[in-house]
Amino acid sequence: MTENVHVISAAMVPFGKHRSSSYVGLAVPPLIDALRGAGVEKADVDAVYVGHSYGGMMTGQRICKEIGLGGVPTVNVDNACSSGATAVHEAWSAIAQGLVEVAVVIGVEKLTQFGGGTLPLSPEDREVKQGIVMPAVYAMRANRYLYETEATPEDLALVSVKARRHGALNPFAQFRTEVSVEEVLGARPVADPLTLLMCCPTGDGAAVVVLASERARARLGISSSMRVAASVLHSGRVSEGFRDMTYPEISAHSAHDAYEAAGIGPEDLDMIELHDAFSIAELVYYEAFGLAERGRGIDLIRDGRTTFGGDVVVNPSGGLLAKGHPVGASGVAQIAEAFWQLTGNAGDRQIDDARWAMTHVTGGGTAGLDHGACTVHLFEAA
Amino acid sequence: MTPTTSEAARIEASVSLPVPDLDADGLVDLFDEGPRLVGTRCDACGRTMLGDRIVCSDCVGTAVTRVALPATGVLYAFTRLHVGAAGVRALGYVDLAGDVRTLADLREDGQPLQPGLAVEFAVDGDDWYFAPSAGPAASAPAASAPAAADANLHANPHDEVEED
Repeated sequence: MTENVHVISAAMVPFGKHRSSSYVGLAVPPLIDALRGAGVEKADVDAVYVGHSYGGMMTGQRICKEIGLGGVPTVNVDNACSSGATAVHEAWSAIAQGLVEVAVVIGVEKLTQFGGGTLPLSPEDREVKQGIVMPAVYAMRANRYLYETEATPEDLALVSVKARRHGALNPFAQFRTEVSVEEVLGARPVADPLTLLMCCPTGDGAAVVVLASERARARLGISSSMRVAASVLHSGRVSEGFRDMTYPEISAHSAHDAYEAAGIGPEDLDMIELHDAFSIAELVYYEAFGLAERGRGIDLIRDGRTTFGGDVVVNPSGGLLAKGHPVGASGVAQIAEAFWQLTGNAGDRQIDDARWAMTHVTGGGTAGLDHGACTVHLFEAA
Repeated sequence: MTPTTSEAARIEASVSLPVPDLDADGLVDLFDEGPRLVGTRCDACGRTMLGDRIVCSDCVGTAVTRVALPATGVLYAFTRLHVGAAGVRALGYVDLAGDVRTLADLREDGQPLQPGLAVEFAVDGDDWYFAPSAGPAASAPAASAPAAADANLHANPHDEVEED
């Protein structure tokens, strides 16, 4: 795998409750915009990868045929919250191996089709039969984290406050208003100690990125892009017994492998888009990614070291908590954010001189696994 | 291609058969000890797993034995769930002796829940749950006394974090 791979274009629709839009209606506009943004014609596209979890059969083909894009491999990918980023990983893999020159990746999801409530999980799973829902999983993580560390519910609230402050700067975010610690703590309880404002919202959305080989990038005359420095995909490892819920092993191992592949460490990062589906997640991922010692993730959020002006800006987009989390779209949307940041197109939320970015999605409630899948990408401005 | 030998020609692919796992009765059954969570122990490596299973997830052995799981354990983490049809519902992960973790409904019985609490399995009609143990571990039913001792070891998970 020697071929350099670049992200050369990105587009997305603002995440939100787009009740009148289908999967096709959500994804076609950013598909057109991403192709135009890179000056890519249909004939230039060698393969299409589409991440979604609830789009049904042939979601990618239903989208692509609207612009007459066909005749090339179109791969539909389901990996729960990692669907979109897994699709990017597949595109990267094909280009890195020299099998494909230009690939389009679509992440799309429509969660309003379920009419509200928690994310539908597989009814075949043992714990799903027992009534597990994702907020309960993260709530138990939070319960244990609060028990083992000096963290308080205020720390959980600070994560939400930061996310909403960042989201207020992002025209693509589902929530554009700020909230206070008091509002977060006083919100309706969902799964103790998590309140509604510590949980990501239900929404719809689509994001598209175009990936290209070094050669194709030159041929297309692209001057501003970001290089894929690492693309890592892991699946969860089962534990029949004890599991430390405060240390998400799948995310820690994926990040470790990504750092090694890119030859950088956490101290080099200018920004991270991480999987803050619930506020507790951000604290434990600080630790899993090596930004903080075990149990000390709270120092970063308390001291403002993960916002603009800090050591590393975590979730400049507002993250899942503010930008929203249409499951299959999130991984691609994170990479779109990294693209805009590293190419200097992030508007009011631009991080000065951003050079290195990490994106991270993980998910899938499955009994015995920390998470079903985890994808970590590292990007360098090019 | 070389011609197949007469010996090789007699070899047939084995027929993999589906498991009728949808017919399973759930996680609880009546054992000699009384109603207990159902477990499966691997005859080869001894790994115990929750529920009816056909293969060991550790050594991939298919010789397995159905067993009653211990009735006592230690609460690892819990939440009170406020969404869904059941009103407020207490749910948690319970670590049973022998290193088996189960998701379980919890009842508080007047004793506030917290991680590290010794809990006991109980059945109420069609429902099963764990509740804080009535007394110190020593007063646990005789049948599960060794399990209770093991469970106490699990109360300090920091010593046994397994990372690969």
